Amino acid sequence: MIEIKKLNKYYGDHHVLKDIDLSVDKGEVVVIIGPSGSGKSTLCRTVNRLETIDSGEILIEGEPLPEDGKDLAAIRSKIGMVFQSFNLFAHKTILENVTLAPVEVLHKSHAEAKEEAMRLLKRVGVDSQADKYPIQLSGGQQQRVAIARSLAMNPKVMLFDEPTSALDPEMINEVLDVMTELADDGMTMMIVTHEMNFAKQVSDRVVFMDDGRILEINTPEKFFSEPGTDRARDFLESIKN
Amino acid sequence: MSVYELLSEYGSRYVLALLTTWELTFFAAIISFVIGIVVTVMRVSPIKPLRAVSELYVQIFRNIPGASLLILLVYALPYLDVVLSYFACVLIAASLIPSAFCSEYLMAGINTIDPGQIEAARSLGMTFSQIIRKVVIPQALRFSVLPLTNLLVAIMLTTALASQVPLNPTDLTGIVSHINTHAVGGITAFMISAFLYCMTALVIGFAGNLIDRKVRLMR
Repeated sequence: MIEIKKLNKYYGDHHVLKDIDLSVDKGEVVVIIGPSGSGKSTLCRTVNRLETIDSGEILIEGEPLPEDGKDLAAIRSKIGMVFQSFNLFAHKTILENVTLAPVEVLHKSHAEAKEEAMRLLKRVGVDSQADKYPIQLSGGQQQRVAIARSLAMNPKVMLFDEPTSALDPEMINEVLDVMTELADDGMTMMIVTHEMNFAKQVSDRVVFMDDGRILEINTPEKFFSEPGTDRARDFLESIKN
Repeated sequence: MSVYELLSEYGSRYVLALLTTWELTFFAAIISFVIGIVVTVMRVSPIKPLRAVSELYVQIFRNIPGASLLILLVYALPYLDVVLSYFACVLIAASLIPSAFCSEYLMAGINTIDPGQIEAARSLGMTFSQIIRKVVIPQALRFSVLPLTNLLVAIMLTTALASQVPLNPTDLTGIVSHINTHAVGGITAFMISAFLYCMTALVIGFAGNLIDRKVRLMR
């Protein structure tokens, strides 16, 4: 589904991603963890080219990611993305947030898009808020709407860039529950997160990054019980309490 | 002459003058808002030459005095075999200058939009023009209602340029010159025009506030 080969990225002199090789298979849930500044968010954002890359290759279903223009937009429409700060459209109602892209990009009729949107809002448990504006919802609700907005495009893969990092503690679980359900339904997911228990539960593989490099790719069982690198062991130790 | 004498003698001319000012304001507002939006889209476009041209446009028309522009339109354009009516010259001058300010206010509105929303729209597969039309412009307009209201008042005042060319019927400023060359209207003739300008500005301001309250986004 996603293949990343020998990817390198620089911010000026700063080498943020170093020789990244990673693939995500269909139906697989890959969780990326690591300390702040390790490049995990940047890596996640290169997959739909919100970040450009300096060398290497990214293939989506075997096809290289287009540079820009309509081809890139078409690929992006099949890759859902959920952001740390929700990024709902402030001038649109919850329902309109979910129907905008299906109507504009997939050229669905308003009626069809609305029906699908209500089904998705119900699935994430915010259908009763459909006519409100984003500001009127809690962070957890907004993030669940953001997930529904992505799902409305019927994506083949979903990227999650620290989806719970901006949430109050009591709202984290409502978002993780929705994501767990998605994983159980067989969605292909690439998740950057600091939620270790969640990572343990849902992931098929855990990717540990530090200083722009992938240090370890392992099953969650192995990674959390006997990490293969000292750096990963230190990291897990440091976040234990 | 007293207000009463002025109004009984020139009342109907004042009405025509007010209508001329309104007409110029109305069309200048539409033209400058349309140009302002187009120029703003060019300024945020990914195409560099478009950005350069639009920035230059804004710098030129933000900084040229209205009277100078009017003189160029009336006296210089005929050398290029372009002869426009006086009305058209005033309308163009009163449109181009505010269009630059309109773009500045819209840019300020755009800068208040969280870039995360743009990224979200891009991640959903929306193209540049879809993002501009559906996400950026609607929000920029909402944030710009009050400055654009002020701009509309400024446009109305800019149409006083019409007094510098022979127009028939003339505008609210032109009528004062007309009266004071044919009779002794003095300061009173000015006061009547000023009053009509003020009333129009108050109505515009009131409408602007109403719209702003209706479309303002809570954040």
